[in-house]
Amino acid sequence: MSKLGAVIESVEKHDKFVHEQVKRARTDEKFGREMTERWSKIKAEIPVAKAPTGLPLPRLALPEIDEAGEIARYLFGDGLPGEFPYLNGAYREMYLEPLQEIEIGSYGNTKSPNGAKGHAKRNGAQSNGAKPKVPPQEEPTRLFSGLMLAEDTNKRFHFLSAHQRSKRLSTAFDGPTLYGIDSDAQGVLGKVGEGGVAVDTVEDMVRLYDGFDVGAPNFSASMTISGPAPIIMAMYIAAAKRRFGASVVPNLRGTIQADIFKEVQAQNETIFPTEASLRFLCDMIEWTTEKMPRWYPVSISGYHIGEAGSTPVQQAAYTLSNGFAYAEMLAARGVPVDQFASRLSFFLDCGLDVEYIALSRVSRKIWAIGMRDVFGASPRGQMFKLHTQTSGRSLIAAEFKNNLTRTAAELMLAYMNGTNSCHSNSADEPFTTPSEEWIRLAAHGQAILLEESGIFKHTMNMLSGSPGMKAVERAVEKAILDEFREIESLGGVLAAVENRYQRSQIQNAAHRYEQQIYDGTRPIVGLTRYRDPNEEPPEIELARTPRKRQELQVNRLKKFKQKNAGKAEKALDKLAAAVESGENTFPALLEAAEVCSLGQITTRLQEIVGHFRPMV
Amino acid sequence: MPAPVRILTAVPICDGHDSAINTINLEFIRHGIEVVYLGFHRYAGDIVRAAIQEDVGAIGISSYNGGHIDFFAEVVRQLRRLGAGDIAVFGGGGGTITNDDARLMKRQGVDQIFFAGTSLTEMADYVRKQYGKARNKKGGKNWDLALARELTAIEDAFAKGSREKKIKKNQKSAIRNSKVIGFTGPGGAGKTTLIDELVLRFLQNEPKARIAILSHDPSVVGAGALLGDRATMINSQDDRVFMRSMATRGQAGGLSPATESCLARLTNDDFDYVIIETVGTGQEALPFRNELIDQTVLVMNPDYGARLQLQKIVMLEVADIVVVNKTDLDRSKAALSEIEHRLTQNKRQQKIVATVAKRHRDPGVDELYKLITRRGRDDRTSRRAAKPRARKGKVRRR
Repeated sequence: MSKLGAVIESVEKHDKFVHEQVKRARTDEKFGREMTERWSKIKAEIPVAKAPTGLPLPRLALPEIDEAGEIARYLFGDGLPGEFPYLNGAYREMYLEPLQEIEIGSYGNTKSPNGAKGHAKRNGAQSNGAKPKVPPQEEPTRLFSGLMLAEDTNKRFHFLSAHQRSKRLSTAFDGPTLYGIDSDAQGVLGKVGEGGVAVDTVEDMVRLYDGFDVGAPNFSASMTISGPAPIIMAMYIAAAKRRFGASVVPNLRGTIQADIFKEVQAQNETIFPTEASLRFLCDMIEWTTEKMPRWYPVSISGYHIGEAGSTPVQQAAYTLSNGFAYAEMLAARGVPVDQFASRLSFFLDCGLDVEYIALSRVSRKIWAIGMRDVFGASPRGQMFKLHTQTSGRSLIAAEFKNNLTRTAAELMLAYMNGTNSCHSNSADEPFTTPSEEWIRLAAHGQAILLEESGIFKHTMNMLSGSPGMKAVERAVEKAILDEFREIESLGGVLAAVENRYQRSQIQNAAHRYEQQIYDGTRPIVGLTRYRDPNEEPPEIELARTPRKRQELQVNRLKKFKQKNAGKAEKALDKLAAAVESGENTFPALLEAAEVCSLGQITTRLQEIVGHFRPMV
Repeated sequence: MPAPVRILTAVPICDGHDSAINTINLEFIRHGIEVVYLGFHRYAGDIVRAAIQEDVGAIGISSYNGGHIDFFAEVVRQLRRLGAGDIAVFGGGGGTITNDDARLMKRQGVDQIFFAGTSLTEMADYVRKQYGKARNKKGGKNWDLALARELTAIEDAFAKGSREKKIKKNQKSAIRNSKVIGFTGPGGAGKTTLIDELVLRFLQNEPKARIAILSHDPSVVGAGALLGDRATMINSQDDRVFMRSMATRGQAGGLSPATESCLARLTNDDFDYVIIETVGTGQEALPFRNELIDQTVLVMNPDYGARLQLQKIVMLEVADIVVVNKTDLDRSKAALSEIEHRLTQNKRQQKIVATVAKRHRDPGVDELYKLITRRGRDDRTSRRAAKPRARKGKVRRR
């Protein structure tokens, strides 16, 4: 049995445990009284504040129950926000406007709770004088960007984050970079800077984040790259060291995607054989979790599984099981669970299918139970920290302005699920890398939902726990566990991957989805329903990289290679020796990143470990 | 019956978006089309080489990662340069290929761009109508193309039931330049990966060797076929490798009705090795006629089931080499000793090799390579003496 089998058992055991607690609360008078007393105490501690209209609202909404069994079911089964099993949220408070003043102490109790005082004070310090009310936490908005050359993306980063207190940059790389190929390689020139930024060397990395204080507490960088992730990570560290010295390393904050499993299952951007890729990944995780405690070295991603056409349940099941497989590998290498568990983060797709009403809620629960009961993680390591992106494949080229509405609905679902950060897609995504006009609208969509509207800013749990949501939760949890069983019966995640189980399941689902569009089961507005017969193709500003820019990248890469020719060969030999010896490769990679290009490193590694062999 | 329409599909270099093309491939097959699928992240040169060797009517490219104008133009340019301008190029990319782009691409020689919203049936109908037409049968000066078109003529003759174009079977006695190795075994044993790893060793160790591969995939009953071996055979996409993917077109036993004639044609050419891979076969299959094959390799998994099953595997009697692949799996030790015992009963000095083909530089595959080439070398020397190489000195492209 792989650890996944143990996870299945632990979730079942937990559900049984909840059931028993409910029964006990109903039969054991003392325990029942404990439950109701605890419930009253929790409610008494919830502050109440006024909405701008004067309506008093509790900061946390709870179900209107007073019977001990139901209370036990809620506290053990769902958990308060920030409490095991985190169904309602990884943290106690999310998206809430800071408390200005406490109007009424609590649900019927006027005593002011301690926590709220701290909040009011902290915020007071920030909003002296004329006060635009700003939330004290980081904005959850995280926008993805990457185009042309490093300096072009850098400009876009400054544009996007100009008005944000926290600089949360998310980087898209171009095709050659994603495949570990240099811009000067034969046959890739047209792809340089297309769909993302071209990064070949540490010098590009310096240009990419120029003007940002990468060691500052309000800065975090996210890099969406997996196949060559350890090499790109090494370049990021090398660039930060060049700009701020070696002391910056422990302060670096951010995320690198680095998820090899989902690449093999769905996204196809992987360059080494799976086992070798996993080794380089674990080398990097081991190193960064020790030396860069604020960095997330892997973002376990369902997004691309969803985008490749999986069902929502497949997306959650494969993502979670991939996560448990990483945890199993790291534990097997002897990395302490509390060193890595809290540094694993997740990335899910949010589309319009009904499952998305509760998909992330259930995922949070399963992750927490598995990490606590199977891996022995402490609470920090039980939390499923989630970045969500609205669905790209739900966006349609025909009557593309409808995509604003699609994205708005998906954003609503994402925040109902308590995502920790979110990217909203631009309506022009079916055509191009988003233009500034549409990317601005996408960002504003989130601000309207979170800042303008009162849906999320006054009360936690505003939309949690409806009967419909509960029904979806139950159905989704059961379906995810069934998927786990299937994977376990194939010998666990790695064996299932090698038998291309997840791939073929995703492909079948994608085929079914397409057929459903054309047989009418899945109506698409503007395409299969209410189509405008006179629609003209839209005027879209296309982000295309001019040939001259591409040539500039090639030329400066060539200069870099000339300049470092001697040193590069030595660094590569050292890296090769590390690979052959079986030791952790990341320190040698860090040295190589100073003087070698991405393609030079990839090529040398492929000579030793081979190429990825695609699965059809 | 007319021969099925054959096309090749692929996703460009630095692009892994294969969701659309996977769905489209399935739909094409359902509509009776044979699809050679090259996979994702493919260089223009690899696509063109494969299209020529497979002699397809058209190339379909699914591009979602940008750079499509350059990429499609490069494919068209290379086809024309190699005398294969009659192979049409079509494609799509959802909304990423705009109307303006499509107009420009058509001016540059692309036949058709399908936009988002085109139904799958519409696409399949277009392909069948446009790309099933008869084309120039001569390959001109391009040697790959000429050979490919001869093979097409043989396949077509079998499809139509006309006999005159079929090359006479049983050409063992004719002059042969190549060593022929047949690979067979159950589905999932890893034949394709193993062959590709062998090809890597041929290419590395024999700088002038040329290899032909005849690879087989099953036709779907009453429909086309997905010929997908090229997608996983990364080392075999090389100018020194001529690969042809064949659909079984209704014939049982793991080969196509045209296989023997095509094989005879290939062995008369200038290849050092000709490799045939059958479809994954059952226990009783005996796909090769002995006189056509110099060496038969049976590739097995350690998990063939109970020991008794071994007695029923007919190929164990005739195989020259038995490869037990995936020996990193449980049970491989037991499997190896059971098979070894079974082979000693045959008293034929059959060789047994344990491999993990998916592993880079696997010593088991090295051993298999040695077994194949050692015997091969003697054979070939004598053949070489009999006939000077037909194309010696002729410059190959690139």
